[in-house]
Amino acid sequence: MLTINLFNGLVYGALLIVMSSGLALIYGLRRVVNFAHGALYMLGAYIGFSVAQHSNFWVALVAAPAAMAVVGVLLDRYGFRLLQDREPLNVMLVTFGLLLILEDLVVFIWGKSNYSLFTPELLNFSVNLFGNDVPAYRIGVIAMGAVVALGLTLWLRFSRMGLFVRAASTDPVTTSMQGVNTDVLSAGVVGLGSALAGLAGVVAAPFLSLTPHMSSDVLIDSFVVVVIGGLGSLAGAFIAALLLGMMQAIGAVYLPEVSVLLPFIFMIAILIWKPSGLAGSRT
Amino acid sequence: MSLVRTGALSLLALGGGVAIMQLTPSSSLLGMFTQAVIYAIFALGVGVLLKQNGLVSFGHALYFGAAGYGMGVILALGWMPAEWAIPVVLVGIGVLAFLIGLVIVRVPGIAFGMLTLAIGQMVYLMATRARGLTGGADGMSINWPTTVFGLPQSMLLKPAMLFMIAWTVMVLVTFVLLWVLRTRFGSITEAIRDNEERARFIGITTTVPRAAVYALSAVVTGVAGVLSSFNTGFVSPESLHWSVSAITLLMVVVGGFKRAIGPIVGAIVYFLFKDLLGEYATHSMALFGAALIAVIVFSPDGIVGAVERLFKRGSLQGGRRHASGH
Repeated sequence: MLTINLFNGLVYGALLIVMSSGLALIYGLRRVVNFAHGALYMLGAYIGFSVAQHSNFWVALVAAPAAMAVVGVLLDRYGFRLLQDREPLNVMLVTFGLLLILEDLVVFIWGKSNYSLFTPELLNFSVNLFGNDVPAYRIGVIAMGAVVALGLTLWLRFSRMGLFVRAASTDPVTTSMQGVNTDVLSAGVVGLGSALAGLAGVVAAPFLSLTPHMSSDVLIDSFVVVVIGGLGSLAGAFIAALLLGMMQAIGAVYLPEVSVLLPFIFMIAILIWKPSGLAGSRT
Repeated sequence: MSLVRTGALSLLALGGGVAIMQLTPSSSLLGMFTQAVIYAIFALGVGVLLKQNGLVSFGHALYFGAAGYGMGVILALGWMPAEWAIPVVLVGIGVLAFLIGLVIVRVPGIAFGMLTLAIGQMVYLMATRARGLTGGADGMSINWPTTVFGLPQSMLLKPAMLFMIAWTVMVLVTFVLLWVLRTRFGSITEAIRDNEERARFIGITTTVPRAAVYALSAVVTGVAGVLSSFNTGFVSPESLHWSVSAITLLMVVVGGFKRAIGPIVGAIVYFLFKDLLGEYATHSMALFGAALIAVIVFSPDGIVGAVERLFKRGSLQGGRRHASGH
């Protein structure tokens, strides 16, 4: 009972890693708390659903993040870049407006009914893990979370562009004075973050159903993750995502009454103890 | 604005309410206005926190819903008459918010918003799961007595009467807020908002005044919650959901939070907009999202700010014409 719950906690943690790393990247560079991130996740799931119906899951897995990357680049170019001198509150509310528009767009195109995506053939079997039969697809989700976390870490740590991203997150003005085109960089990073939201959406589609309200639960959990981890910190977000997934899994076994409250209690406790989050040193 | 002038304007506003009540042709439209006025009070609460503390709350629905549940529980258990229950609930909300505020106002900026979101959602989830008296996800109806403050319910629940009650409360709340912000308490909290460190240097304790503003904003929101529970006779977890907080925040920003009247304008515009879009109601949220973006992009200080600028420009041009005439 506990092992299978821990396993499912890891699956949800992996999904949250993909979601919240996108949020953290965008916050790092643009200082924007992006409410539209949940809508991009939802849009990714629905686009993935439609693409998968016409071809297969693997095409959808590429197409939806690619589509969201385009949306992300446009969002940065015609949104965040034009609003970069505005109050953070105002930009945050613009993304909230965008969330309302995109949620309605999804209802307009796909209607209000619930859909779910079939598990791809290739992963449609069970594996015996510690005496429990677990779907291979979920192992795939955990693997994807690991790949995203590892890939992002290596990219930021060792590539030239990763260096620029780290520099621009610390001090965009100085970085652009050193000759880095921070506008192009930001467009790329927001595109990448949005693509990750789309990826999370497609990957979640086979095990969480598609509804016009699917965005807000995951969005709030991702916010909790990003705030616990320390706004803009990737490493903090990874740790917080896993902690949150695990906590819900363990809570479901031992404290079923309050398991849904645990993330919030955890967040409140962390923020009272360390107002800038686990990994946050900057405000 | 002097206190006398504020008082005179308040009386004028009360008269305006009577005029609106008389001129509104249908009672369903008046019902919509009543709802708009209740949300205007709610928005006043969210707005005072933003104006005076510079803090954005994504969780004020907590106090809106808690007021309704508080009334519902007290009246269902028959602990005290409704006339007593109202102040008890409001004081309870004030104390609760003050204690929460002491802890959370220390958290800076956006993290504060996320924290209020978390606390609000936590209470929402608890309310949807609670069995028994509060009825879980189905909500509970509120057992108002047949006479409140000596007036029979049948008379109080007439649309015109409900509207006048809500409108009067709104004018009173605005007056009290304007008065409070003119006192020393107002100047202190403004100083803390602008620069907390310097405020500490000149010997002001900073946490308590900010928690007090948070409590004040919660009580104002609670007033709206009590009115709403009387207006609908019902409270459900929906009123605690974070989207309610977000929509109200949106009214505040669209109206313009720098002026006291901004949140009221925002709430009324929101409800008028929603009513006008009635036939396109399925897509009203998208249109409202677009309107929100447009207001923020073109007028960051909201509708009230845009109108003020329009008047200022008008008078400037008038002045110039006058000068060139000589």
